[in-house]
Amino acid sequence: TAAAPRPWRLFGAMCLLRLPRITQPLEKEEEEMAALMGQIELEKSHYSDHEIRKLGEEEQLRKRRESTSDDDRAPSKTVIMARDLEEKWEQKLLRFEAAPRITDADKNNNRTSLNRRLDSNLMLLVKQKIGNQELWLLPQVEWQPGETLRSTAERAMAMFLGDRIQAKILGNAPYGIYKYKFPRAIRTEDNVGAKVFFFKAFLQSSDLSQAELKEDCLWVTKDELGDYLKSEYLKKVNRFLLD
Amino acid sequence: CSFSFISSWLPQSVPLRGKHWQTSLLAFRASLPMRAQPKKKKKVDVRKEQAQKDRMKKKIKKLEKAAPEMIPIEDFVTPLKYSDGNRVRSLPSLSFEETERRVLLMKKWSLFKLKQDKAEKNAIQALVEAQQEALEELRLESEELYQAAIRRDKGLFPFERDGPNYTPPLPGYDPPEGKCIDITKVYTQ
Repeated sequence: TAAAPRPWRLFGAMCLLRLPRITQPLEKEEEEMAALMGQIELEKSHYSDHEIRKLGEEEQLRKRRESTSDDDRAPSKTVIMARDLEEKWEQKLLRFEAAPRITDADKNNNRTSLNRRLDSNLMLLVKQKIGNQELWLLPQVEWQPGETLRSTAERAMAMFLGDRIQAKILGNAPYGIYKYKFPRAIRTEDNVGAKVFFFKAFLQSSDLSQAELKEDCLWVTKDELGDYLKSEYLKKVNRFLLD
Repeated sequence: CSFSFISSWLPQSVPLRGKHWQTSLLAFRASLPMRAQPKKKKKVDVRKEQAQKDRMKKKIKKLEKAAPEMIPIEDFVTPLKYSDGNRVRSLPSLSFEETERRVLLMKKWSLFKLKQDKAEKNAIQALVEAQQEALEELRLESEELYQAAIRRDKGLFPFERDGPNYTPPLPGYDPPEGKCIDITKVYTQ
């Protein structure tokens, strides 16, 4: 028997995550433990070739300084000592400047840039018109018969970020659901409310300069979601987000 | 001579020694400056060649029957130059306070790790529950969409990703030139 048409409208939403690019800062216990492990490793190790060479040269220097009569063995040929090598390596390291972990976007708190908060996940939020309100949501689009929910979510993503976005969608199954009933004014027999199914994807390409950004989008972390999302929606979204 | 034996026994796939002054295998006997013996009778040659072939075959069979040698694992064998005593590090021995501090830190660490592990497991459990709920609701909606959702995604694995580093990549960084020569010893059985 054909099922009666359900009164819920279906939406597919995509939670696009930009994965962290740098490591998170270590906790206090982790730092102490790392230091201890380094110390134990040093204690249990033997001397390496470089260290033996260094020790031998220190001995030689010391002997030469003490026995001042041995001037006929003055160093006529320039021998590179291990100490000089170490200094050279130190200098080279100091000259290298790595990229800063806290970027400019962090300092300006520019939430539209992807270079902010490189040590945590960033999620895409867009402003959409639902009913007669403009709300900040995860990009969602209505399901059309004939496509799977996953392709609905992909369509939602493409709508806001353009076609050439590279994202790895994690599986065919939805991760979360948000169910809401329409306000009484619009509610009819056939149209009680809507169900929004969330899908998760990882952003593969690191720069979105080629993507055509339509309307306003933001990239926010999990703790900043509370500034934008409504409480009920936020509760459901938080369920499927790892820190 | 042994050279003629090798060329007649093995097919053309084996590179012959001295191939640079040999134009083709067909014009072999003409181009090859044969030294010493004048042409012998063919029967003796054939018999000698046969005997040589048999000897080689026997040797090969013997080698194949012998058990293959074990490949030594280089990581499990300490090279001899590290076993003499002058390499031992001389550091001051640990004080009582230091050992105490270390033991207490180990205990704190195990507690920290336990909490971390439990938190991770709870988070995964919460994720799974949320997904199950979503799938149940989907099933209530339409069976067809549900079946499409629980299908296995073949393109998901193998999933590769470069892990996070300590600093972000430097734009326009020119790494120093150099070649990495691999000197690992490769053993064949």
